[in-house]
Amino acid sequence: MKIKEEMKGDVLVVSLSGKVIGGPELMDVKTVFQNAVNQDISKVLLDLGKVTWMDSSGLGVIVSGHTTLSRADGSLRILNATKKIHELFIITKLITIFETYNDEQEALNSFGE
Amino acid sequence: MRTIEIRLPSEISVLEPLQLFVESIGKYAGVEEDELSSLSVAVIELVKNGMEHGNGNDPEKIITISIDTFQSRIRFFIDDEGIWEPDMAPGFDPGEGEELLSSRGRGVLIARNLARWVEFGLTPEGKTRVTLIWPLT
Repeated sequence: MKIKEEMKGDVLVVSLSGKVIGGPELMDVKTVFQNAVNQDISKVLLDLGKVTWMDSSGLGVIVSGHTTLSRADGSLRILNATKKIHELFIITKLITIFETYNDEQEALNSFGE
Repeated sequence: MRTIEIRLPSEISVLEPLQLFVESIGKYAGVEEDELSSLSVAVIELVKNGMEHGNGNDPEKIITISIDTFQSRIRFFIDDEGIWEPDMAPGFDPGEGEELLSSRGRGVLIARNLARWVEFGLTPEGKTRVTLIWPLT
């Protein structure tokens, strides 16, 4: 799994790619969310478009990020969830928690609404 | 019919090779390309549960996976060395509201929804066995 971070305006776009299958590397994702809060970044967009495989451990990290940002009055939103990942969000009802987008600009704009 | 049996230590590092292996078995058996990752997610969720709840994440303890391919289905036995009960694995129901925000405990729920046929039982030695059956269309 690879993690890429990029600021777009006041939104941190975090892009994951590859397999999200568990293990120590997931801690790196948690750290990204915590670092964002530490730097007073409260708007994070998580791009999952290049994630080729993900299970519940990936969902756990995403929920953890949601909690971290919410406690700082921030927000974590989801971009480009693949069909398979979207299915996991539905099964676990996390679809009721997260705002999901397929268009980056629309997602970025949503933080200002 | 020939049973394939693999024995794995309870280590996270085995999961990625296992994912590839399960998908190759699925492909060989005739699982549709689009469903291969769902199959591997379901199996790996149950393997992780066995590692955690059955084997206490002790690398010395083994997960044994037995795979049989039939004309219209694949059967996976996933055996661990523990005596845990399904209730010990949260996630049969995702809950509502704040319960949804647990950072863990969704594995069995996901496996059940993806595979639709997941049963908990015992090995002949009385340890925990999870049976997953994947229909072939």
